[in-house]
Amino acid sequence: MTLWSLVLILVWLVTFVAGQLFFKRAMELSSATGFRNRKIISILSAGLFSMTISFFLNLGLLQRFDLSYLYPFQGLSVLFISLMAAIVLKEKLTLRLTIGALLISAGIVLVSMS
Amino acid sequence: MRDRPSGFLNPWFQLGLNILCVLAYELLLKAGATATADPSKSWSWTGITGLTSPLIWLAIAFIILDLIIWLYLLKYIPLSIAFPLSRVVDVLVPISCWLMLKEGISPLRWLGIALVIIGLAIVAKPAASLEERL
Repeated sequence: MTLWSLVLILVWLVTFVAGQLFFKRAMELSSATGFRNRKIISILSAGLFSMTISFFLNLGLLQRFDLSYLYPFQGLSVLFISLMAAIVLKEKLTLRLTIGALLISAGIVLVSMS
Repeated sequence: MRDRPSGFLNPWFQLGLNILCVLAYELLLKAGATATADPSKSWSWTGITGLTSPLIWLAIAFIILDLIIWLYLLKYIPLSIAFPLSRVVDVLVPISCWLMLKEGISPLRWLGIALVIIGLAIVAKPAASLEERL
């Protein structure tokens, strides 16, 4: 694996996680005010933009690597998203949830390694 | 989690639909990407060359459907619960390959599958108590 593909994988992960956080934030706000709100539309658009970049990078990576090689990185996204949801969105991250997310991440890594 | 709709619009049922969509598009994306792989082309690292495959377009249709479902259920379920649960798809793929295609699963892979299932069960518990608080 070259440094370039590592950078691509990192950007793919970061845009994916950011997109999810934007989506959740937008939907949270929308339940109070509905969608006709400039702030919600911009957050939703930011999420879509972020997800689109992530989608094409994922496609480019899939053309280059086996799914089983890329999967462990996807597994890590479970952990990242739970952590970032707690930090950015102030969701309650209990010890139980953290352990669950950790096991799921580890499991996905093992599934794809073998 | 106030005013949770029931029946077809139940967010947990929608989470199930979301998982089926992800299963469909992951397989389509990989098939389409493999069919169009040509790393010698410039810009291929952006994945843009994948758009020549009809499989990719079908996958995109599933992704859009999935996105609508996902946005809907995020209104009701915390991201830190919905996302880990949605990754059940990562054990469904190898298990369905094992059941339907008779592909072998190594002991290490079974261990991974077991870890994911235990993790899911642990995450599903707070999800259940979330329901009770309604």
